[in-house]
Amino acid sequence: MDNREAKFILNAYRPNGQDADDPRFSEALEQVRRDPMLERWFSESIAFDAAMTEKLRAMEMPPHLRENILAGARVSRPLRWSKPFIKWAIAAAVILTTVVGSVIWYSGRPVRLAGWQSAALDVISSLVKNESSFDAQSRNTADLLAWLRANHAPAAQKLPDNLGKLESVGCKTFSWNGIPVSVICFTRPDGGLVHLVSANVPTSSARPPKTAPEFVRQSEWATATWREGDTTYMLALEGSRDQLRSYLL
Amino acid sequence: MSAADFQQLVARQYAPLYRFALSLSKSEADAADLTQQTFFLWASKGGQLRDRSKAKSWLFTTLYREFLSRRRHEVRFPNVELDDAREDETSILPNVNAFDGVSILQALQEVDEPFRAPLTLFYLEQFSYREIADLLDVPIGTVMSRLSRGKAQLRRRLLSQQEIADQKIVSFQPEKPRESHG
Repeated sequence: MDNREAKFILNAYRPNGQDADDPRFSEALEQVRRDPMLERWFSESIAFDAAMTEKLRAMEMPPHLRENILAGARVSRPLRWSKPFIKWAIAAAVILTTVVGSVIWYSGRPVRLAGWQSAALDVISSLVKNESSFDAQSRNTADLLAWLRANHAPAAQKLPDNLGKLESVGCKTFSWNGIPVSVICFTRPDGGLVHLVSANVPTSSARPPKTAPEFVRQSEWATATWREGDTTYMLALEGSRDQLRSYLL
Repeated sequence: MSAADFQQLVARQYAPLYRFALSLSKSEADAADLTQQTFFLWASKGGQLRDRSKAKSWLFTTLYREFLSRRRHEVRFPNVELDDAREDETSILPNVNAFDGVSILQALQEVDEPFRAPLTLFYLEQFSYREIADLLDVPIGTVMSRLSRGKAQLRRRLLSQQEIADQKIVSFQPEKPRESHG
């Protein structure tokens, strides 16, 4: 371990000594003991962090914030039903909608996406709404693919040509029922987004190593799923199948 | 949760939550609003939390998600390059004790947003890198990278403030009395 790497790790070391027994820091701390220059950096860094903590904790609070929180919580109690008829009418409407909706759904059941694919669409929606953040961001797709491989996440060996021409935004990884999944988001020329999901889904050896894309629509999402070798891919965008198809070429 | 327990929770956590919110939102009004909203959500949903020792993590996670949710109409995908060239460590550390709390907060608010949340959680509440990863729902490696880069940015901001403050100090040299002739 060189000093640069040791500093990278030690920047996460808390100044109050709580991390002294954490094995993640042990090699870096050993380096500190061996190297006087690093030791000096570390002691100055700890002092800096301790001073920062003290200054930030001394920040003044707005007057009456605590009282406002308590008062607001008291008035935020849920309203009681004052008109039983309304309550029963709403309940009846919910039941009726559920029954009718089930009949319609059962009679025209579309092909459905697998669980990991629906989970991926939820992750994508969360990223688009800024409710979660990317694990890594770059306009260069090659950088993102390298990051995914370095972090042992599924990553395409080769992208479809038209997809590879797009500027990337970022990538995110997650696990669904033990299946590792990665998502890369791209910006389309029209300002919209298209997303490539890769997953190492276990399949039987009897299945062909490569399959043609299968198109499925789920709500506003147009998706295409195919398999190459050990990896299953899903391309998804909010739009038409024709728009999606153009990025498979 | 009883009213007394809720009051105790507010008493313990409202200040650190507010400071976290302020570092994210840069506005006292927005920070106060975020803090209040977080406790309202606790009042309505916190009872579902089985392990009450996780209340602090729940509150910080909820506040952070509320902050992100409010931002969704603003800039999409704030641009932070992967550019894993780690920020060069500055060899000179600013003297934190020479700054007041307002200046410290200002420097923290100038740090790039993806770095600001983990940095604040690290300094304010001394969350571990693992706890920060859980709160922010990012990998541990990402937390370490953001702490490293965030601290480098913060130190440079403070050094910059220090240099500006030093340049404004002009030593006063009183005029020498003129000799009279005649």
